[in-house]
Amino acid sequence: MTGVVPIMQVGDTLLVSLQGDLDDATVIAVEEQLTREVARRGATGTLIDVSGLAVVDSFIARALARVVGMIRLLGSEAAIVGMRPAVAITLVELGVPMGKLDTALNAEQGMALLRRLRSDGSRRLD
Amino acid sequence: MESGRRRGLGLVMAAMPDGEPDAGPRLHDLEALLDAAADYEIINLDAEGNIASWNAGAQALLGYAAAEVLGKPVSLFYTDEEQAAGAAEAELRKAEETGRLESEGWRVRKDGQRFWASVITAPIHGQDGSITGYARVTRDISDRHQADVMFRGLLESAPDAIVIAAPDGRIELVNRQAERLFGYSREQLTGQDVEILVPPRFRQRHPRHRDEFFSAARARPMGAGLELSGIRRDGTEFPVEISLSPLETDRGPRAVAAIRDATERREQQQRLRRQRDEIMELSTPVIQLWDKVLALPIIGTLDSARAARLTEGLLEKIAEHQAEVIILDVSGVPTIDTQVAQHLLRTVQAATLMGAASIMSGVRPETAQAIVHLGIDLGRLRTRNTLRDALQLALLMVHERAGVAASAVATVTAGGQT
Repeated sequence: MTGVVPIMQVGDTLLVSLQGDLDDATVIAVEEQLTREVARRGATGTLIDVSGLAVVDSFIARALARVVGMIRLLGSEAAIVGMRPAVAITLVELGVPMGKLDTALNAEQGMALLRRLRSDGSRRLD
Repeated sequence: MESGRRRGLGLVMAAMPDGEPDAGPRLHDLEALLDAAADYEIINLDAEGNIASWNAGAQALLGYAAAEVLGKPVSLFYTDEEQAAGAAEAELRKAEETGRLESEGWRVRKDGQRFWASVITAPIHGQDGSITGYARVTRDISDRHQADVMFRGLLESAPDAIVIAAPDGRIELVNRQAERLFGYSREQLTGQDVEILVPPRFRQRHPRHRDEFFSAARARPMGAGLELSGIRRDGTEFPVEISLSPLETDRGPRAVAAIRDATERREQQQRLRRQRDEIMELSTPVIQLWDKVLALPIIGTLDSARAARLTEGLLEKIAEHQAEVIILDVSGVPTIDTQVAQHLLRTVQAATLMGAASIMSGVRPETAQAIVHLGIDLGRLRTRNTLRDALQLALLMVHERAGVAASAVATVTAGGQT
């Protein structure tokens, strides 16, 4: 079974990078692939890098929020990293509820964020 | 006169089919018809181009009586220059080749006056197929010629480049300014598709716009609201403004395009836009206070346009400096109402999505009262009284994050090695 997107493993953290134009079918496939891999590899954290996405519509945004929820249910932490300014503005304009998502500027800060989330659960700094 | 008429009709008779019954009365009718066409010079020439018949119209037009011109070469009515160039003989040869020749040119009356003539020349063939002479119909079109001259004068004196095109896109007429603007000569443009003046990337779409214009022809600017470009012969593009007008002619509808080089205007607009952007930039400055800490002092009223601009500028800076904490200082905002609060919250949300935390500073007592009274929920947004306190908190946050980041990287590196 080949994956839709390449998933890198760094330590016990998974790093998935979303690129280019995502159609609805791909988004669903990514969702399936990612939850399967998180469960199979027993990852404690997942970073979803969206810096390769120039456009994010409400469907993709909701899918992102959904997959983060699924990963959390699997007992793992998840964060969105590298969102572009234009995408951030669009999502706020669209009013997509993404307030519960954990985000970071880049993969390095994302790693730190995951570690923080793992160590002190609810007492978050941001 | 009498003999001339008979001779001329003789030729017409020779051209008529044989065995025609009652030829006499019909010839008589024809004779009357020719003389009735008083505005037309209708004459016959023999095979050598000498005048063989003369009608009343010819006498009225040129002032010669039949006896004065019969047997004389037709070049008698041509200007001296044309006589020297053998224009009359050339026209007959051309008519012989093509079977019919329409031409225009100056003719000279007996009194030396000139008029502009439209001339149709057709060869007459004998029964053996050889040329026995020519029929020639001449009309004085000086009035029309005058109008034409004025039209062309107008065309040439217009400040804009003018291109007149047919519905199929063929260029029919251009003026000197069009030659200069596009770098083609008149001859190179006439008969070409008008699309050669359109940059290649727009060429495919242009015929459809052309059809649209002709289907509802009215004077209008081309591509309203669009920035149009033209292309010169040397391949360089330049901005243009084009106004289109319909023109009804004998040969059907035509489009008149007046084209103006808009380089200067476009540059001016861009300069204006740049200046406006700079002013906006000045009104929403983003300051880097510390490594990974940005401050955005908001001064004055926050409307939607400014808030959008502010958010955009801030997010760009976050990406640029990889800032982790931003401080929104609102001490310069006179009042915070629901709308302003919404703008601020959106900015904070967008920054959060990118991974930067926000702190609000400079909330005045009356602002705090207003926010609570209005029931505005600022959510998880942290606030500090002064910019100084906010910076202190920001540094603490960055430090803690950095500490965690360092140990995270250490763990990951160690994890990767094992």
